[in-house]
Amino acid sequence: MRTSDLPPSTRAFRGLSAFLWTEVLVQAHEELAMATSMLVQGVLLVFVYILAPALLGVALVGAILYSTFTMGSRVLNEAAYVRIDHKANDLYLAGPMSPEAYFLGMAGGILVVYLTPVIILGILTMVVVHLTLLQGLLILALAATVWVFSASVGYIFSTFFRDNRAIWAYSSLFFNVFGVLPPVFYPFALFPAALRPVALLMPPSAAAAIAQASLGITQLTAGELSLAVGGLAVETTLLFLFAIYWARRTVRGD
Amino acid sequence: MTDLALRSENLRKVYRTKGAPPTEALAGVSLEVQRGERVALLGRNGAGKTTFLRIASTLLRPTSGRIQVFGYDVDQTPEKARPYIAVVPQEGKPFFHLTPREQVYTYLRARGLTRETARARTEEALEKMGLTEFANRLSITLSGGQRQRAMVATVIATEAPLLFLDEPTIGMDPFARRSVWEAIRTLTRHGSTILLTTHYLDEAEALSHRLYVIERGRVLISGTADDLKRSVGGTVKVLLPGGASLFETFRSFGQCVVDGDALTIIVTPERLGEIMELAVRSKLLATVGPVTLEEAFLRVVGRSIDEN
Repeated sequence: MRTSDLPPSTRAFRGLSAFLWTEVLVQAHEELAMATSMLVQGVLLVFVYILAPALLGVALVGAILYSTFTMGSRVLNEAAYVRIDHKANDLYLAGPMSPEAYFLGMAGGILVVYLTPVIILGILTMVVVHLTLLQGLLILALAATVWVFSASVGYIFSTFFRDNRAIWAYSSLFFNVFGVLPPVFYPFALFPAALRPVALLMPPSAAAAIAQASLGITQLTAGELSLAVGGLAVETTLLFLFAIYWARRTVRGD
Repeated sequence: MTDLALRSENLRKVYRTKGAPPTEALAGVSLEVQRGERVALLGRNGAGKTTFLRIASTLLRPTSGRIQVFGYDVDQTPEKARPYIAVVPQEGKPFFHLTPREQVYTYLRARGLTRETARARTEEALEKMGLTEFANRLSITLSGGQRQRAMVATVIATEAPLLFLDEPTIGMDPFARRSVWEAIRTLTRHGSTILLTTHYLDEAEALSHRLYVIERGRVLISGTADDLKRSVGGTVKVLLPGGASLFETFRSFGQCVVDGDALTIIVTPERLGEIMELAVRSKLLATVGPVTLEEAFLRVVGRSIDEN
């Protein structure tokens, strides 16, 4: 059976597992990038430990969410780099592999390789915070949601650049402004009250606020909780669907 | 599957960029490629070759016109055409952090080939491209030519029915180029069709059954390399260094081109004797050789292929 004869649902993910494995191999050969992937989180955790050891649990949960959030930055850099410098889009997409598989394979490969720091942080969190199973599962679900959001943002943004050098500044700015500045590494309650709705509309800090509330570190009003959960769910779903559409749309230039 | 691998009718592409006048990259290109043929698009930089190839390989939308791959409309139903094609992109590079063996194998798997087939074809392609020795080295440690060979290996290993090769041998040494040529010939013997772009005239001549000369987005001439050479008006080229001043004397023999103080005359073999006699009488040294594709290109396009 030819690929073109396959039903759409099957065709949409044609080549996904193979391309995911390709990306795992590519990333796994970059030992230095893997080794430094925990740098920002590590430094912030050390600061928190020295300055306010009581907040280490909050910071650890924040570091988990931040780690999955920065995977979007890797998707952005990788997708743009291999498109601009290697013409990998042309090689892979002028063939039977689907654009959805290209996007999800790349994001999935990066997730697999950079999951190790998240697992380490998870173990540390369990030791420091004594998570219940439910709290652990909730943090896992939040981290996964933040990953979907950031991978989608990363892939969509990657298509706008024509020069790799331009990406570094934007990537760094975006992921640090959204991941470090809002209350991800510190309690939501310390964030200025007037700006809290804004923080709850930013997926990393919304996820952190929900996680902190579940751990009893932060009190959220019903309205704030609804905004955080609703905003996170709606933004992530819409952005993911748009990323899928955009992946298809940008196979061909105009 | 139809016997026509590719057909374009009056294909146009206009690039529109903000703040710049529109650029017409293709101005109505019509061409056909039969199944099993090797066809070259020959042209200077910016002639429209890559634009045509990108449209044909479903990576760029045309402004107007029609293009079909094995009967499937590339613009309307690109997903139907894609399983039949594979492309070596211009300036494409393998993943630097994969070895050539990983690159070829994973690419074939991503195209849906089984593990066994992918493994066998990977080894075959690496051997054909002379990459076996480097197969387990990361591509980042390979030379530019070796990386290009890895790209070609990746694509020829697909054995796709229609292969688009955009400047496939760029950066390769002469031996590697010949390996690629042989691999391409083998593919067409097994039923694949090749459409390649090149600005190497020897490559176009050695490799293609037919050529399309493209200039400013238009097909100026098409045919075999011999057809093109015959279009010059003769099959023999006589070079007379220092003969430029005798342009008028020699112009009745055939097409004369002055280059500095040298005079080149394209003639039929029958008139060669007369020219040689006249050259001797004029105390000129004469070099005689066959007309090459370069002369044909120069006559058709009006400029050398390397001239920008």
